[in-house]
Amino acid sequence: MILEIRSLTFSFGDAPLLNDLSLTVDRGEIVCLLGPNGSGKSTLLDCTLGFHRSFSGSVTLCGKNVLSCSRAELARQAAYVPQSHTPAFPYTVREVVLMGRTAQGGLFGAPGKADYEHCDAALERVGLASFAERPYTSLSGGELKLVLLARALAQQTPLIVLDEPTSSLDFKNELMFLDTLADLAKNDGLAVLMATHALNHPFYFESKGLPVRAVMLRKGQSARCGTPGALLTAQTLLEVYGVRAAILDVADEAGTPAKTIAVLGSEQRM
Amino acid sequence: MKQTGAANRTRGAALAAALVVLPVLFVLLSLFFGRYPLPVREVLAALFSPARVPLASRVAVWQLRLPRALAAAFVGASLAASGAAFQSVFRNPLVSSGILGVSNGAGFGACVAIVCFGGGVYTYLFSFVFALAAVVLSWFAGRISRVTTTITMILGGTIVGAFFSALVSIMKYVADPYSQLPSITFWFMGSFSSVGYSRLLAAIPMTIGMALIFLSRWRLNVLSMGEREAAALGLDVRRSRFLVIGGATLCTAAAVCISGTIGWVGLVIPHIGRMLIGNNNQKLVPVSISLGACFMVLMDLLSRTLTGAEIPIGILCALIGTPFFVYLLKKTRGGNWT
Repeated sequence: MILEIRSLTFSFGDAPLLNDLSLTVDRGEIVCLLGPNGSGKSTLLDCTLGFHRSFSGSVTLCGKNVLSCSRAELARQAAYVPQSHTPAFPYTVREVVLMGRTAQGGLFGAPGKADYEHCDAALERVGLASFAERPYTSLSGGELKLVLLARALAQQTPLIVLDEPTSSLDFKNELMFLDTLADLAKNDGLAVLMATHALNHPFYFESKGLPVRAVMLRKGQSARCGTPGALLTAQTLLEVYGVRAAILDVADEAGTPAKTIAVLGSEQRM
Repeated sequence: MKQTGAANRTRGAALAAALVVLPVLFVLLSLFFGRYPLPVREVLAALFSPARVPLASRVAVWQLRLPRALAAAFVGASLAASGAAFQSVFRNPLVSSGILGVSNGAGFGACVAIVCFGGGVYTYLFSFVFALAAVVLSWFAGRISRVTTTITMILGGTIVGAFFSALVSIMKYVADPYSQLPSITFWFMGSFSSVGYSRLLAAIPMTIGMALIFLSRWRLNVLSMGEREAAALGLDVRRSRFLVIGGATLCTAAAVCISGTIGWVGLVIPHIGRMLIGNNNQKLVPVSISLGACFMVLMDLLSRTLTGAEIPIGILCALIGTPFFVYLLKKTRGGNWT
């Protein structure tokens, strides 16, 4: 088991946010964290990455408690793709991706030949090899996300944690990003933990035949967990979001079944 | 384009050699100029067979020009290195060496020394100590619920800077207007005019500071990604930041105590480096150190030779450096900043 969360409870002051949450992420598995704004998705990611340290319960990465890991040890187990990134300096794409190798060096470490190779392989993997020398400030939002993904891949971790990775991407780029993630999970055995607002994401992964689970968080209440098909029902969406929706069965040209959500209206109109 | 292999390594080695040789050349060059007229032959003789030249020539080259040029080189290099380091730590290309109240702290130290102890070696000591004190105070002022973030630290620096600036005004107010006040004013304009070998003791903290920044130079890139991302990438942010800010503080405090405040170099030399070789601190730090040293030696040379009376170096740096910076900005089209 790559990530194992056992009865995690987290409160901001007196307000409980995560309540007795248990969750595992295995090799090649994709886990989508869903839930309304403020339901604790990012907080759960922060507990996983060791940013929040005052919780009860346990978070174990590859058999080690995250609270007893150094930053470098954590960065060798879990890579992080932030929701937004504000560039301070126009580094080149390669320079940014190389930073994924930080945890491999010591206090005054600097990347060596092998690190450059891992970096170039990661860029190749996300299809940005030809961008290596471009300033990363000149990229589009979709390309920037891929650079951040490449930086995470350069860390060569068994787990990758993403916070709403597609929130700023257009229709096409969102799909390309999901396909890249699916490919990484399927062919590299990467464990993926992603927070997302797009409820169709877990359905998309499911239709691609990947082992995927959805976790629906609700502020201060216990989370629900299951396969996308079982968890994401019209009833759940009404209860959690107060949105009336229908889950439609569709199929692509080859006849592969898929599911999608159609929004019908808000609760009040019922 | 992919840069790999021998060609890249050769270019790197050539750059490294140039970065070491250039400041040495500038220091040597500056030995040939000065108010005391010495022919080139005489300077060479003083350098290579000092026993054969008159005492006055020997003193001019070895006791006046050389320590002065060395001090200028160290100060320029230190200010540029600390500026580059602070820019990365604070994720802001507009900050410079004085960000944490160093200059105002040092200025107050110098005032106290001039007004209460008659200046001299006390100016040097007090400005160094108060510059360090200002940074420590900034750190504590920015400490909120046991954590100091970069933003609160900048805030702390601004507050402490303003506080010391007020103290400087008090000292100016009480200073003797005929003897002490001019000393204070000249101190703030910066000068290398009275540097001897004893003052080069400050090269020790400057070297330590630059070494810390130089060794951390690649990790400066990671630090500039912001605290959260740097930590997620595996950096012990607090430790790295402590080393870099500590190093930059030693650099700035020691530089200010030798030469007075020369504010402008720490901002612009790293920027000139960014335009020339990019933002990767692995290259930017050594390039800034080298450029800073060359620039300051040249400025000091001009300050003591352009006119009969010496022009304060802080003024000269701004007068000559700013137009040059504008020229570079136009020529490199902002170096990817726009």
